[in-house]
Amino acid sequence: MAMNWLSLRNYFFAASLVLALTAAGCAPPQPYRPAYPRNDVSSAPRVPPPPPVYPPTNQESDRRPLPQDQRIREQDLKAKTPPAKETRESARQARVGEAPAVPETTAPPLPDDSSLLAKITPGVTPQRAASLRLTDEGSKLLDAGEPAKALSRLERTIVIDSTNPYGYYYLAKAQFRLGHYRESLNFLEVAQERLSGEPFWLAEVHALRGENYRALGQLQRAEDSYLQALRLNSGNRTATDGLARLQVESPSATR
Amino acid sequence: MKHSKLRIFSIVLVALLVITSTGLVFGAWYLKQLEDTITVKFEGQKWFFPSKIYSDSYLLYVGINLRLDDLTDKLHRLGYYESAAAPKAKGEFRIQRSQGIVDVYLHDFDYPTERRGGVPVRISLQGSTVTRIENLASGKEIFDFELEPELVTGLYERIWKERKVVKLAEVPPIVVKAILATEDERFFSHHGIDPIGILRAMWVNLRTLSFQQGGSTLTQQLVKNFFLSDERTFSRKIPEAIMALIAERKYSKDTILENYLNEIYLGQRGSQGIFGVWEAAQFYFSKPLSDLTVGEAALLAGLIRAPNRLSPYRSTEAATKRRNVVLGKMLDDRIITRKQYETALAEKLPQRALVKVSNDAPFYVDYLRRELDENYSNTVLTKEGLRIFSSLDLQLQRKAERALVEGLKKLEAAHPALRRKGDDDSLEGAIVVVRPQTGEIKAMVGGRNYQKSQFNRVFQARRQPGSVFKPFVYLAALMFGGQSGTRYTPDTVVNDSQFTWNYDGQEWQPSNYNNEYFGAVTFRRALENSLNSATGRVAQDVGIRRVREIAHRLGIQSPLPAVPSLALGSAEVTPLEVAVAYSTLANGGVRTRPLAVKLVMDQNGKPLEKRDVRVEQVINPQLAYMMNYLLKGVLDRGTAVSARRMGFTRPAAGKTGTTNDYKDAWFVGYTPDLLAVVWVGFDGPSKLNLSGAEAALPIWTEFMKSATANMPVTDFVSPEPSSDSEAGGAGQCAPAGREGELGGVPCPPAATAPRSVHDAL
Repeated sequence: MAMNWLSLRNYFFAASLVLALTAAGCAPPQPYRPAYPRNDVSSAPRVPPPPPVYPPTNQESDRRPLPQDQRIREQDLKAKTPPAKETRESARQARVGEAPAVPETTAPPLPDDSSLLAKITPGVTPQRAASLRLTDEGSKLLDAGEPAKALSRLERTIVIDSTNPYGYYYLAKAQFRLGHYRESLNFLEVAQERLSGEPFWLAEVHALRGENYRALGQLQRAEDSYLQALRLNSGNRTATDGLARLQVESPSATR
Repeated sequence: MKHSKLRIFSIVLVALLVITSTGLVFGAWYLKQLEDTITVKFEGQKWFFPSKIYSDSYLLYVGINLRLDDLTDKLHRLGYYESAAAPKAKGEFRIQRSQGIVDVYLHDFDYPTERRGGVPVRISLQGSTVTRIENLASGKEIFDFELEPELVTGLYERIWKERKVVKLAEVPPIVVKAILATEDERFFSHHGIDPIGILRAMWVNLRTLSFQQGGSTLTQQLVKNFFLSDERTFSRKIPEAIMALIAERKYSKDTILENYLNEIYLGQRGSQGIFGVWEAAQFYFSKPLSDLTVGEAALLAGLIRAPNRLSPYRSTEAATKRRNVVLGKMLDDRIITRKQYETALAEKLPQRALVKVSNDAPFYVDYLRRELDENYSNTVLTKEGLRIFSSLDLQLQRKAERALVEGLKKLEAAHPALRRKGDDDSLEGAIVVVRPQTGEIKAMVGGRNYQKSQFNRVFQARRQPGSVFKPFVYLAALMFGGQSGTRYTPDTVVNDSQFTWNYDGQEWQPSNYNNEYFGAVTFRRALENSLNSATGRVAQDVGIRRVREIAHRLGIQSPLPAVPSLALGSAEVTPLEVAVAYSTLANGGVRTRPLAVKLVMDQNGKPLEKRDVRVEQVINPQLAYMMNYLLKGVLDRGTAVSARRMGFTRPAAGKTGTTNDYKDAWFVGYTPDLLAVVWVGFDGPSKLNLSGAEAALPIWTEFMKSATANMPVTDFVSPEPSSDSEAGGAGQCAPAGREGELGGVPCPPAATAPRSVHDAL
């Protein structure tokens, strides 16, 4: 029974991957670049995260941890207590009998909705417009490889308009680029709560979440997030690339 | 006889020899000591640099509301000066009120992550709204720009000496020549002391029968500033001259000149001493050395003699007169041409108001110091010239301080029993202002008079919060439901009557204000009117551990004993903790960490530490919205309704707090964009005998009216259930759910508002 389920699951996984790759080829340009260069995939099982610009020890030492704060901290990731890496095989074994995670149907690629400036329409409040422009500047700084600068700019976006979900999304992206994966996941959670009816952006959120989980070594969660992204938008390139990398990094766990 | 004479002669000779050789040895030793002193100074750490604390920068963008008076005030504090004509140089601005145009030539500023070159910008306004921003240099429209952070204060040990060290090559020759012409025209031809200069000074002093001139060379002045006192005595002059000779023998003229240009005292801005030519150029002209005109160079050179008496901030006439004397000397010495001389003479010195650095936020700075002390020693902070960028908003800080001080005075006037004679246990208060979205602490007033008491009640005083704690009970009830199976909604009827809670063999019986009980009331009304008994019953049903869990989750860090009285705020907390916890509600369930220090940079601009905004979704946004909705009722109908009567009309939520013994009065209130916590009470055992609504709410209201005057009116936004199935999973509103699971929260008022809003009225 378990074997049958695995076969079925792998079939859906492969089918969605093929569909996604096909769709990506026809889809309009996506806002993401792959988080890691694709030519790195074959040479390294997992590309190490980019080094943080500022010393993480200082970042973490400025407050007492809240009593309920059980989140993983960057130091844990680096030296002290590395989280036990979850292999997809072990996770899958533990999940035998659960509902399948693979989408039964794959959404067609969504039109590119990544332009933030296009969202500045006459009805938009000045605060939202200013916040969107700053978000756009921040995203460009991220593309230019300046996450620290981008972070300062993006923090302004939520001051001006705390309901701007794209600000939170790009803050998550900046934190990811700085190697602060847990912080990135926190921002993604807020971004997701503020996004509604925007499958393109929700797919972006899930895809970036997948990238964070992959960097944290939580491969099953990464896979689930990528799949969720593709379920919402089969043209999501980050998710497609992420899944492909997962396959290369841990080929025995799939199929 | 002859023999004895010879003997005496021999003794005298020996004595002379001994004295001479001792003198020589001592003299050599003394010279060696002086030389060592000079070497250590010249080759070691010459100057210490106080760290500087800056406020947050101010972002201007198209669409922002702006009061011109506030902008003018801000520009003045940043060292800009108003000109009648279009700004031509960095640091100038012009306001054309009738046309709604402000032109500002921005300063250069090294931001934490980038350097901004000063550019001229034009801000166009319609009414109080910025409609367009243009970079006048490029002619392009821009949509936002930042005004640089304000210098709040320096961290120094005894005297604040502000200087930036520059290389000799960075100082324009005209500045150097002007200074040499004025202070030491034979600098390149003497060896440390200038006999001609001394004779000239003696002649002038004899002629005027006063001490007009010293005849000191530039080297002597440097030696005096480095090692000796300011007194004009002969005993000081001798070592000064010797040390000048030694310095000239050991070091090049350029080295001495460079040290002099960086060492020289050139003015005073409040507690901040201005040292060195670079700092002086910034202080007097708001421009880099390289941009100084001939007239400005002459003015700087002329200031050396008496920086404060001749300062253009004090008297433009005196400064102009002195500048002209220097220009005349420069012309005589052929440093400048006649044309340059005449052009410089025609330069008019603008009358500028001196903006002193006066540390308007001492409690905030103390809080920063406490945070910084964790990573930086006092020596580093006072000597290594760190630049510390904070979240402080000085305008909000001043408003908060004014609201507190005046509010407490009004309370004392209205309630004479609160007045205390002498200094013992006077009425105190505290305000902390936070931006909920980021956790930035925008203002902090830890007491009514910093000079009198530096005890910072915002984070050092743990006080009972009283009813300010109650929302945590109601949130726990909405989130977890009751142990009885009750699923709480705003319309759930709860019993407000006396009851006894038995726990651990003890009894606890909450009583209402004035012992007035209302029987069956809605959940919402119980919170709006802060009914103790009803709250106690809800807490009992939910379980006090759940209440404690919620309080911690929102951001309370103090230990909270799981006893029934916790529900009514018996556990002591700080106003800052309360601010963090309520910020989580204001921010849609996203907890942020309190952020005062944002970035620390070393003297060379290298970031040492960056503290980012940190967020964590700790409660469901729909639940947070529900709480905001309920707490809006506190202001609209409940115990804080007097804020509306006092003229604060924008959408806001809040909660009053009064402790059982009437020692503490609280109000915490917030709009979606700004949160303030006010505490009023005595440090000692005295009772206030006033409620939070009577004592703290008026202060909060006055502050918020002023603080939000320019902000757009915003309301709490109802979170919509996400269309993404997984996103909505954790906390979708649903008609039923298992206890303790977010999946079962009641739907927010957006879905039920028409019915819910009026039911409780």
